Amino acid sequence: MATRTTVPFGPQHPVLPEPVQLRLTYEDEKVVDVVPVIGYGHRGIEKACEIQEYAKNIYICERVCGICSYQHSASVVEVMEKLWPVELTPRIKYLRTIWAEMSRTHSHLLWLGLLADAFGFESMFYQFWRIREKVLDILEMTAGHRVIQSVNIVGGVRRDIDAAQKKIILDTLEVVRKESDSLVKVLANDYTVKARTVGVGVLTKEQAIALGAVGPTLRASGVSEDARLGKYDAYGDLSYEPIVETAGDCYARALVRARELFQAIDLQVEALSKLPEGEIAVKVKGNPPAGNEAITRMEAPRGELFYYAKGNGTRNLERLRIRTPTYANIPTLLVLLPGCQLADVPVNVLSIDPCISCTER
Amino acid sequence: MENLKQITKNDIVSEGKKMLGAGGKFVTAVCNDLGDKLEVSYFFSADRGTQLTCFRYAVGKDEEVPSLTGATLSTLLIENEMQELFGLKVKGLAIDYGGHMLLAHDSPTTPMLKEKKAEPKGAN
Repeated sequence: MATRTTVPFGPQHPVLPEPVQLRLTYEDEKVVDVVPVIGYGHRGIEKACEIQEYAKNIYICERVCGICSYQHSASVVEVMEKLWPVELTPRIKYLRTIWAEMSRTHSHLLWLGLLADAFGFESMFYQFWRIREKVLDILEMTAGHRVIQSVNIVGGVRRDIDAAQKKIILDTLEVVRKESDSLVKVLANDYTVKARTVGVGVLTKEQAIALGAVGPTLRASGVSEDARLGKYDAYGDLSYEPIVETAGDCYARALVRARELFQAIDLQVEALSKLPEGEIAVKVKGNPPAGNEAITRMEAPRGELFYYAKGNGTRNLERLRIRTPTYANIPTLLVLLPGCQLADVPVNVLSIDPCISCTER
Repeated sequence: MENLKQITKNDIVSEGKKMLGAGGKFVTAVCNDLGDKLEVSYFFSADRGTQLTCFRYAVGKDEEVPSLTGATLSTLLIENEMQELFGLKVKGLAIDYGGHMLLAHDSPTTPMLKEKKAEPKGAN
């Protein structure tokens, strides 16, 4: 019988931008068991949201994550708006959709770069991140900031997109599409990329559902599920169908994100072309009513983001609960890692696009 | 809230298994401090995620409740979290982090209970 060795993978590891530990048990170089160890970055954000006035929760929640910050602010305002409830204008819904897809575009470009970095394809890493800068530029131009946008408020948004900005966005997205296309072709066809990802870390459809996976991790296993099918914001008006791959391996998870990158560009172009006239904010009076509960589910770049809120009639919420996509995807590591080789652990871990600051809140 | 079903703590495992057996997926759970009781809500989705069902029960703060991790590991983190942050006594966890999944050894215990006031460490 081979000797078993337990090795901590993390909390500090080159492939992990944030601290998380995977307590791996090996037989020779094969992983046979894993225990995820989190808790290095817990900030008590849910408690903070009960203590602060509800309007300030936006600024707290958009700091849950620096990558999908926009979706956190959109989710927390939407869940609070449902407590009254507040009726939004179509223009607000479209603007929120455009920024959400912009956010998905830069997040997927970031992840594609990180994947290339994980198996040592440094030039691809640089190129994906170079393209991503253009998306951050249009986010800054329209929302005011590159990372934490602070553009949502309860009852609307702070900024509008005018005709001149619309043209710049469309021009920029065309450049992003063209440059990404040539890089994605390399990603999809390169021998080295395939050697490191095809057949590695297979998550079957049944396992993905049983483990509660979400987002690209779920869709790469052949499950056509996406919170955008719930038609929140402007998604009911747009041409949208989830992108699905069936192999369930690291390669399939990369392909889903690569294809979603182009789909997000298409959705922005379509939403901009249909952007209706109207107010960008509606007045909200009073406090979230006592006893009312609400749920919102949005598709963040890493998967479904779930917010639950309960009002108590005061300026504070009785309760706010946040279930982030990585929180749902961590159990998949209990299946993905056992049986894989030591050298494949980083790519496997990265393939679920883990966000630890999201997970720990 | 739509599709809310009030159950007892003893029904959660069978209801969860029914949802999973029908192709449903566990979404998350939410714990609320009601003062003398804890209210626990388990959310499951079905039909490509478009349908959401909530199973809810309330228990005394000293009562033990069953874990769903025997049926699905997807509840592993949230059940540990509810145990840690609210003091919910979850029995039969597949991996029990012993109250230190999120909290450090010198952290306040059960910080999400209403009686626990948040006081920043080292505040003047």
